[in-house]
Amino acid sequence: MVAELLRRTWAMTWKDVTVELRARERVTAMLFFAALVLFIFNFALGPDREKLREVAPGLLWLAFLFTGMLGLGRSFQAERENECFEALLLTPGDRESIYYGKLAGNVLFMVIAEALILPLFGILYNLDIWGLLPSLALVAFLGTLGFSAVGTLLAAMTAHIRAREVMLPLLLFPLTVPVILASVRATEAILLGEGLGEVSQWLKLLVGFDVIFLVVSPLVFEFVLEE
Amino acid sequence: MGSWGFVGLAYGVASVALIGYLLFLKGRLRGAREEFAALEREGGRRTR
Amino acid sequence: MARLSFAARLHGGAAALLLAVGLYWGLLAVPADAFQGEVQRIMYLHVPSVSTAYLAILVTFCASILYLWKRDLRIDAVAHSSAEIGVVFLGITLATGAIWGKPTWGVWWTWDARLTVTAIVFTMYVGYLMVRAFAEEPQAGARYGAVLAVLGLPAIILNHFAVQWWRTLHQPSSLIRPGGPSVAPVILWPLVFNIVAMLVLYSYFLLERVRLERIRHRAAESRLKRGRRG
Repeated sequence: MVAELLRRTWAMTWKDVTVELRARERVTAMLFFAALVLFIFNFALGPDREKLREVAPGLLWLAFLFTGMLGLGRSFQAERENECFEALLLTPGDRESIYYGKLAGNVLFMVIAEALILPLFGILYNLDIWGLLPSLALVAFLGTLGFSAVGTLLAAMTAHIRAREVMLPLLLFPLTVPVILASVRATEAILLGEGLGEVSQWLKLLVGFDVIFLVVSPLVFEFVLEE
Repeated sequence: MGSWGFVGLAYGVASVALIGYLLFLKGRLRGAREEFAALEREGGRRTR
Repeated sequence: MARLSFAARLHGGAAALLLAVGLYWGLLAVPADAFQGEVQRIMYLHVPSVSTAYLAILVTFCASILYLWKRDLRIDAVAHSSAEIGVVFLGITLATGAIWGKPTWGVWWTWDARLTVTAIVFTMYVGYLMVRAFAEEPQAGARYGAVLAVLGLPAIILNHFAVQWWRTLHQPSSLIRPGGPSVAPVILWPLVFNIVAMLVLYSYFLLERVRLERIRHRAAESRLKRGRRG
C-alpha cells in the first residue's frame, strides 16, 4: 500500500520535474526573482549594516516565502492552461498521491531557490553564515515543508477561482503565520549564535505544524479537485 | 478625548457595524424575494 | 411564510430588547471600574463580540465538516452565513479592542497576543468570503469554503500558541486583563447578560442569513427550470 502510494507520488513529482527540466520556466523565474528581492531590500533599507543585520532573519524569510509563493502559484498552471485537471483526476489510485507528488515538486523547487538565496544573502549582507548552514538548512526545510503543505492545497483551490493570483497569498499567509513566526524566530536565534537547543520550542511548533497539515491537507485535497 | 469619548466611540462603531449589517441583510433579502417572485411570475406565464 | 416571518420578527425584537437592557446595564447602571474608570465599559461590548465571533467560527467549522460528509447545500448555507456574521463580529472585536487600547496603553495597536490572533482569524475569514464570492459555481464555492474552514481550526490553534510565545519570549507580557484575574460579580452579571444578548442577535442574524441563502437557492432552481422549458 505504502509502496504503491510512493510509486504514484514519485510519478507525479517526476512528471513535474520533467516538465520543468524541459521548459525551465518556474525555477528560472524563482531564482531571478529571489536575487532581485535581495537587491531591492538593500535599496529599501539603506546601506546601514547594523540595521540590516537586525532585520536579516525577517528579510531572509520574506525572500524565501515570496519566491515560494511565485512557485506555488504556477504549480497547477500547466494543468489549468491545458485543461488537464480531468486527466489528473483520471489517474488511478488515491488523490493523495497527486497531492504528495505536487507537494514534493513544490518543496524541491523552493529548496533549490533557497539554496541560491542563502549564500547570496550571506555575501550581500556580509553575514557569517557558513558555519551555521546545517541548522539554518534544517529550519529552512521545516518551514518550507509547512508552507508548501498548505500552499499546494490552496494552489489547487485558487487555480479554479477568479482573481487567483491575489487569492493564493491572501489565503496562504494568514494560515501559515505560525510557520513564518517560528522560522523567523529560530533563524534569528541561530544567526545570533545560539544552538538548536535554544530554539527547540520553535522547532517543535514547526514540526507540529508540518505533521498536522501533512495529514489534514491530503484528506481534504479530494474535495478541492472534484469536478 | 475623555474616557466617555472612547466608550462612545466603541459603542458607536459597533452600532454602525451591527445596524449596517442588519440593513445590508434586509436589503439582500428583499432583493432576493423580488427576484424570486419575478421568476415565478414569468415561469408561470410561460408554462401556461 | 407569514408564520415564520412572525417568529423572525419576535426573534429580532427579543435581540433588540436584550441589547437595549444590556446597554443600559453596562453603560449606566454599573459603577465605573475602580482601576480603569469608564473605559472599562467597552468590555461589555468587546467580550460579547469575541465570544460570538469565535462561536460563529466554530459553527462554520462544524457545519463545514457536516457538509463535506452529507453534501447538503442547506448545511453549507449555515457554514457560509455563520462565517459572514463571524467576520462582522471579528471586525467589531478588533475595533473595540483598539479603541480600548488607546486610553489604556496609549496606542491603538500593540500586537497584544489575543488581538493579534483575532486579526489573523479576521483575515482568514475575509479570504473565506472572497473565495466563496469568486468561485465559478455554488457547489465549488461550498467545497472550497468547507476545506478552508477545516484548515482554519488547527491553524487558529497553532496561531494562538505561536503568537503567545512570540509576545512572551520577546518582551515582558504587557497584558492588562480587563477587571483583573478574578471578575467581580458587579461586572460579571452585566457581562454574562450582554453575552447572552449578543448570542440572541447572532442567532437572529444566522436564521435570516440562511433564509436569504434558501431564497437564492430557490430562485436559482426556478431559473434552471425556466431554462429547460424555454
